[in-house]
Amino acid sequence: MKYPMRTTGRALCFAAGLVLVSLFSGCDRQDAGEDEIVLKWPTIWVGKDSKAPMVEKLVAEFNEEHAGSIKVEIEPNPDYDGYRNKLNTAIASGQVPDIFVFNPDPTTFQYYEGDLLMDFSEDLKGSWGDTFVSGTIDAATKNEMVKSIPYEQAITPIWYNQALFDKAGIGSFPKTFDEFWAACDKLKAAGIVPTSQMTGGTNAWTSMLWYSHIVAGLGGPDVWKKPFSDPVFEKAAAILLHMYQDGNTTKDAVGGDAAVSGGHYLAGDTAIFINGPWYIGRVKSDAPEVYAHTKVTAAPQTPGGSSGAQIGFLLSNLAAAKTDDPTRRAAVISFMKWMTAPENIKRISMDSGSLFCVKFQVGDEAVDPLQKQFMEAAANATFITSHFQGNVTTDVAAEFGQALGKMVLGEAAPKEFVDQIIEATE
Amino acid sequence: MSASRTNWKGIMLFLLPVALLYCAFFLYPLVFVFVTGCTSWNGIRAMSFTGLSNYIKLFGNGTFRLSLRNNFIWAFALAFIQVPLATITAMVLARKPRGWRFLRTVYFLPNVISQVAIAMMWMALYNAEYGILNHFLSAIGLESWTHNWLGEIGTALPAVIAQQVLYIGYFMIIILAGILSIPDSLYEAAEMDGAGVLRQELYVTLPMIRGLLVTSMTLAVAYGLRHFEATYLMTNGGPANSTSVLGLLLYKKMGALDYGQANAIGSVLVLTGGLLIIFIRRIFGRVESASETVQ
Repeated sequence: MKYPMRTTGRALCFAAGLVLVSLFSGCDRQDAGEDEIVLKWPTIWVGKDSKAPMVEKLVAEFNEEHAGSIKVEIEPNPDYDGYRNKLNTAIASGQVPDIFVFNPDPTTFQYYEGDLLMDFSEDLKGSWGDTFVSGTIDAATKNEMVKSIPYEQAITPIWYNQALFDKAGIGSFPKTFDEFWAACDKLKAAGIVPTSQMTGGTNAWTSMLWYSHIVAGLGGPDVWKKPFSDPVFEKAAAILLHMYQDGNTTKDAVGGDAAVSGGHYLAGDTAIFINGPWYIGRVKSDAPEVYAHTKVTAAPQTPGGSSGAQIGFLLSNLAAAKTDDPTRRAAVISFMKWMTAPENIKRISMDSGSLFCVKFQVGDEAVDPLQKQFMEAAANATFITSHFQGNVTTDVAAEFGQALGKMVLGEAAPKEFVDQIIEATE
Repeated sequence: MSASRTNWKGIMLFLLPVALLYCAFFLYPLVFVFVTGCTSWNGIRAMSFTGLSNYIKLFGNGTFRLSLRNNFIWAFALAFIQVPLATITAMVLARKPRGWRFLRTVYFLPNVISQVAIAMMWMALYNAEYGILNHFLSAIGLESWTHNWLGEIGTALPAVIAQQVLYIGYFMIIILAGILSIPDSLYEAAEMDGAGVLRQELYVTLPMIRGLLVTSMTLAVAYGLRHFEATYLMTNGGPANSTSVLGLLLYKKMGALDYGQANAIGSVLVLTGGLLIIFIRRIFGRVESASETVQ
């Protein structure tokens, strides 16, 4: 088939246009100014994330202050799992983003292994390092290198709805597990499901945190240094199993994900829940009644164990691609210092309810009441230790929910639950 | 001399771009997957060759074996439940009953809707607390039949498969197009010979669309083997790994930066798919040649 000359001409013009557009699109950096350093920051703190508005504001202010010399461009990645996959792929292919955020765990700390990330250890030795909460820089240090800046941290205390407790005639949160089961019976008698649980999602988050609390109570602050074959882990599994029995949780907990677990608490169906401070914004906006009656506390004392422990961990670290260009490196450091400046951390913390690894002074009037309870819970903790997920690779964390599902469905005993975890780690 | 011989340079010229792309984006990654499946590699440090240890580890792992079994169940369900359902529906619609065009669109509609939206809808339907399925069963006096459909080992896999098998639109459209292209004269001749509707479908329609059925079943098996989305969205492989599939296991290993294991799973998936497709073509090829001999 022959095409008319006019059509061929149009096609050629279109092709030439495409070539020109692609040529000019490569000139963005030059157009922005020869000396301006552009730092791309793919981030999850966008969209509905409670930190998003203040992060956007802080970046805009930084860009304004460094107009013509440094420009940080946010690349929105609202999907957490997608963002993590994207990072894994980018780092495996050596294409590290200029700046990025990651959840520190044994999987992501593998990023440190190559020569791909910027090392901040020398920079943090000065006054900058003094602004961080004690122990957080150590937690981000591997082989004497600090290849990420500890940024957001969290504790995940037990949440409970005091209004539902009052309705069931329970005055205060139980101090021991014996009292806890008695309180569960009272709640059930009042037509309230005691706890929110979940075996689904990528990590059975709520139940994994319950398990971590119980394990910490039984095994103390160094419990995660023990092998999973230690009896502590089996005992904790037996207690967690009871949470799924006798109507102590909802029918859809097995297979349920974070939306199910959190949804029941927000709806006032369940009286007890666990999550971190980032959920404050959600409960405040979506369930103001529940928010008004929510209190946080430590887990009940385990039989033969200690009390008052909290589960806390680094939630997100900031990292950057290694560069041999000193100007570019200085630009990255400048931005990191801006994002971790105490006055900016205060703004983002007050705005989002999240807790951070940088110390800042604040008056009572500015703090959200629930956020204040979190701070007090952290301050009053007898010790703070990490959670299960923070001590295993992501595939083992995923196996937790599968092993839990098997156990609560009566297909495995607590010992077999632990054995399944051990098998996954091998 | 045939045109293909005289114009071979032209043919090569047209095939070359696709062949190059195929090599770059399929063959090279495929070889890479097989090679790295024999290594210990997290994508960051250098690979170390470990021979077949990844495969030995995989076949010794209960979750892997369960996932492989589930993939076969998926392939079987799609090939032997979904395709026959699509065929029967296509046969009915090809008779052009009143409103057949509307029904054709309705059946095909789920294929243009996001898998995520469909999965979310089914999760809500199956929910043990507020799901409409349990409410319906309770309302008609079948309370004992209610389940935590996605949370029980016995019901989770059938529940995830059922929501997929129901969407017959894709294969129905392929088969319907085939049936509509069959000349009416064949049906008229069969009718004159006294064949009823059922016999017409059995002895005219089915033999005429045999090729399409083989293609549909091959595609169904391929979909079954590479299945991932609905399981990931609805159960994430749970409870107790009872709905896990190889694609999901591969995804979890990649997330843990265990590319050696992930690519070993990928290799098993590719080889299994290839073998199953060869098996299906052989079986149907034999049936086809046998039926030709009879004719």
